[in-house]
Amino acid sequence: MNAKVLSVFLALVLFVFIVELVRREKLTFKYAAGWILVSLAGLLLSVFDGFLHAVSRVFGFELLSNFIFFAMICVFVFLSLLLTILLCQQNSRNDRMAQKIGLLENKLEKITKRMDADTNSRET
Amino acid sequence: MKATGKKILVIVPAYNESGSIKGTLQEIRQTAIDLDVVVIDDGSTDGTRDDVSSLGEEVVSLPFNLGIGGAVQTGFLYAEENDYDVVVRIDGDGQHDVRYLGDLLQPVLNDEVDIVVGSRFIPPFLGYRSSLIRRVGIHFFANLLSWLTRSRITDSTSGFQAFHRNAVKVFAESYPHDFPEPESVVVAKRTGLRMKEVPVQMRKRSAGHSSIRYLVTLYYMVKVTFAVFISMIKKQGGAQS
Repeated sequence: MNAKVLSVFLALVLFVFIVELVRREKLTFKYAAGWILVSLAGLLLSVFDGFLHAVSRVFGFELLSNFIFFAMICVFVFLSLLLTILLCQQNSRNDRMAQKIGLLENKLEKITKRMDADTNSRET
Repeated sequence: MKATGKKILVIVPAYNESGSIKGTLQEIRQTAIDLDVVVIDDGSTDGTRDDVSSLGEEVVSLPFNLGIGGAVQTGFLYAEENDYDVVVRIDGDGQHDVRYLGDLLQPVLNDEVDIVVGSRFIPPFLGYRSSLIRRVGIHFFANLLSWLTRSRITDSTSGFQAFHRNAVKVFAESYPHDFPEPESVVVAKRTGLRMKEVPVQMRKRSAGHSSIRYLVTLYYMVKVTFAVFISMIKKQGGAQS
């Protein structure tokens, strides 16, 4: 029973914490949405733990804790893959931006030089 | 040699090459070919940019180091923006012997192919052909790529290349960032770009260190093999960028 109280409590803390992060604009809703779902799922599964027992039996796990660990590991593998994808996307965008900055700087320099030359020739 | 009336651009990617960039640029300028040069300074911290500017050459400076693929792609973007017909890549480290520039350009200027690769492994073998261990790697990839693309490739890691504007268009859009030389062979095959090798000489790098060190050669081979296979089954023109 204590374990159930603890897990309900932790799921609630997670939920409140995420909502607070969004409120303070530390997290955008786009990225917070997944976490809100996770905390709600945690809350539901903690309250109705019978469901977890049933699923764990169906898959043939001897202990509920084994099933939970297994499920968590799966979630984390998936999550880190997702984060790597985001990271790569950011990386590509960064590269594109760097290329654009370099090209624009080069163009700007050329234009400035031409303008300076024009001004000089008009003055003389 | 401007008989064709085509606009030629030489891309010189350079990362911390202040020891050799001036020499390379002077060599390029000594050729009788009418061409423009742009140095892509790939986030150098050793004053490479100032060396280039002091010679009055065009330079595009990247705010941080992107690696060779990203730098060369910047050159393609520059070429597209300024409407060049032909692009040649000559590395800033002085490894590529500029005397072969004409040989490299000819097939592209004649609209014969879209990509010309300067190969160290087509007879007659004259110049520097890399260390033994790297040669093993280069041959391995050459065979792998020849097999995958059903065409004869002898030098899979040569960056001494000329590009027709068809190829420039494809590679400005997306160019493999990880291992551009071997991967771009696959991209070329997949996008229907015509490719050809011509014999060239290369020299030992005149300064600095090659980015492929001995100890990591094996790891490099495994990675490139994997990248090449992945590249074969990619959807678009090239790597996403």
